[in-house]
Amino acid sequence: MSTAISTQNLTKIYEGALRGQDVHALNELSLDVEEGEIFGYLGPNGSGKTTTIKMLLGLIFPTQGTIKIFGNSAISSAAVKKNIGYLPEGAYYPDFLRGEEILSYYGKLYGLRGSDLKKRIDATMDMVGMQHARKRLLRGYSKGMRQRIGLAQALISDPKLLILDEPTTGLDPIARKEIRDILLRLREEGKTLLISSHELLEVELMSNRVGILYNGTLQTIGSVDELLVKREMTVSVDGIDDGIASELSSRGITVEDRTGGRATLRIGSTLSIYDAIELCKSKSLELNSVAPRRETLEELFVRVIGAAEADRR
Amino acid sequence: MNAISSFFRGPYYIALYTYREGIRRKMLIGFLVLSLLVIFGSSFISSFLDPSAETDIDLKLIKDICVAAISIFGVLITVYISASVVPNEIENKVIYTVLSKPVGRMQYLLGKFMGAQLIIIVNLLLMGGLFFMALYLRQGIMPTLLLWSILLTYFEFLIVSAFTFAISCAATTSLVPIMGGLFVYITGNLTEYLKDVENRASQTTEWLDMIIGKVATGLYAVLPNLQNFSLKTQIVNGQPNDPLLDVFIPSLLLYGSIYGLAGFLCAYVIFWRKEV
Ligand SMILES: Nc1ncnc2c1ncn2[C@@H]1O[C@H](COP(=O)(O)OP(=O)(O)OP(=O)(O)O)[C@@H](O)[C@H]1O
Ligand SMILES: [Mg+2]
Repeated sequence: MSTAISTQNLTKIYEGALRGQDVHALNELSLDVEEGEIFGYLGPNGSGKTTTIKMLLGLIFPTQGTIKIFGNSAISSAAVKKNIGYLPEGAYYPDFLRGEEILSYYGKLYGLRGSDLKKRIDATMDMVGMQHARKRLLRGYSKGMRQRIGLAQALISDPKLLILDEPTTGLDPIARKEIRDILLRLREEGKTLLISSHELLEVELMSNRVGILYNGTLQTIGSVDELLVKREMTVSVDGIDDGIASELSSRGITVEDRTGGRATLRIGSTLSIYDAIELCKSKSLELNSVAPRRETLEELFVRVIGAAEADRR
Repeated sequence: MNAISSFFRGPYYIALYTYREGIRRKMLIGFLVLSLLVIFGSSFISSFLDPSAETDIDLKLIKDICVAAISIFGVLITVYISASVVPNEIENKVIYTVLSKPVGRMQYLLGKFMGAQLIIIVNLLLMGGLFFMALYLRQGIMPTLLLWSILLTYFEFLIVSAFTFAISCAATTSLVPIMGGLFVYITGNLTEYLKDVENRASQTTEWLDMIIGKVATGLYAVLPNLQNFSLKTQIVNGQPNDPLLDVFIPSLLLYGSIYGLAGFLCAYVIFWRKEV
């Protein structure tokens, strides 16, 4: 498998008017995105995700470092760009055009014409579920419909690499699920996807690998399965009360999801699972299940960012 | 041949898009409607009043108003559209989706510039066409002089447009380039005065005057002389089908094209590494 995107020591400093006002938006990012994977690019607001993406597309220029796309470092050349579809963050699409006219415009910029173009417009409209509204003016589109058209313009040339900056922002849960399914299908077709997002659950469900950026520095990178280790056990019990709950807490057990006498206990690293079960028995709690628990991406994210923040201070 | 046609395909689509987007601007429509009202009002309405009482003075006045209306509204449209096609697209981020396609920055600029020219030409033809009809209906003579004037006015606007466009590539909003464009237009029409300044400065030995003189000489050499493109005196005073006096059209068109190209190249130099 070869590398779709590869950056070496990629650094971006936005120069301010005065010396002290420079913004170090990205520091020495070395990142490889492999062909055929969905890479989740995460980080809090202002951590440098959009900055990275704009450099990949040649919209802004690195202060330092190199970028290769499909092994080619001439990233602004037409030969490279024709393989890339890009959905910008919060972009606007021309109001006065019809859905299909927009796709036709962007398709032509990719060099598509005639029946090829028609076929691609049809296929992408189908894919993003906008066939019914393709003849309507964008002025009358809802936010979600605009986002879909945005996705469609990124897909119009059937590119090998998709770079999507917050593709599901502003969409309802059903639409999100639909978009997620589209993206997964694209991966099955062998496409590479770089997706920046704040929707951690979504990223966890889709991505092969994730990278977490904080303050311009890559904190963690790895496959979802590696990063989200199954390091905790959970025990769900019946018959708990406030007294027992506070006692369990003092022993290093986290009581979660309590509804009446029912609760889930998360057994931390201070206690072995056998000890925890002993303890439950001694409190005459009824055991419902014992299961390993995988850390969620959200928890990983909070942990990584928390550690990075503490480091910074 | 194939390489050339594929190079221009992107700019062609971008120009068409720019045109379609541009002609919808309210400000532009406003300028156009106003100018048409002025031309229509001054020439047609007066002809309905009392054609028999018409004097030469009336006709002169009307021509004067119409020529002025075309240059004023024409330059406003030119400056406004040239100043805004690029900054507008940066502001609404459409530029991200366009520049991320296999479209080079030169092609992008060329498309935008051509689109702006299309808008300027269409507006000029509308204004000039109305004036043309008014003159023709009134005097029954083909106003051929006016056709030359429209052609030359376009090349004057091309110069103003190219420099406004260059300034707009350095700016993030269209306000600064609009001011800049008007400045180019105004100083370009005042270059004869620079010659005056130069002459007067050469008569003294005061160092400040000499510096002013040098600056004036420099500006005179660099700035386009837009007065060259004006046939106003001839149109207002002569007959509409008089032959052209004192102007050599090909050299003026070349002059306009060279300045236009220079302005466009400045735009490219500014834009090719611009962060958007
Ligand atoms: N054009 C610019 N000029 C100066 N600073 C900028 C510019 N663009 C971004 N920045 C700064 O660079 C940093 C990174 O911004 P960036 O937009 O890359 O963040 P992000 O990770 O995409 O955030 P978000 O999740 O909010 O979209 C921020 O501190 C931001 O203020
Ligand atoms: Mg962002």
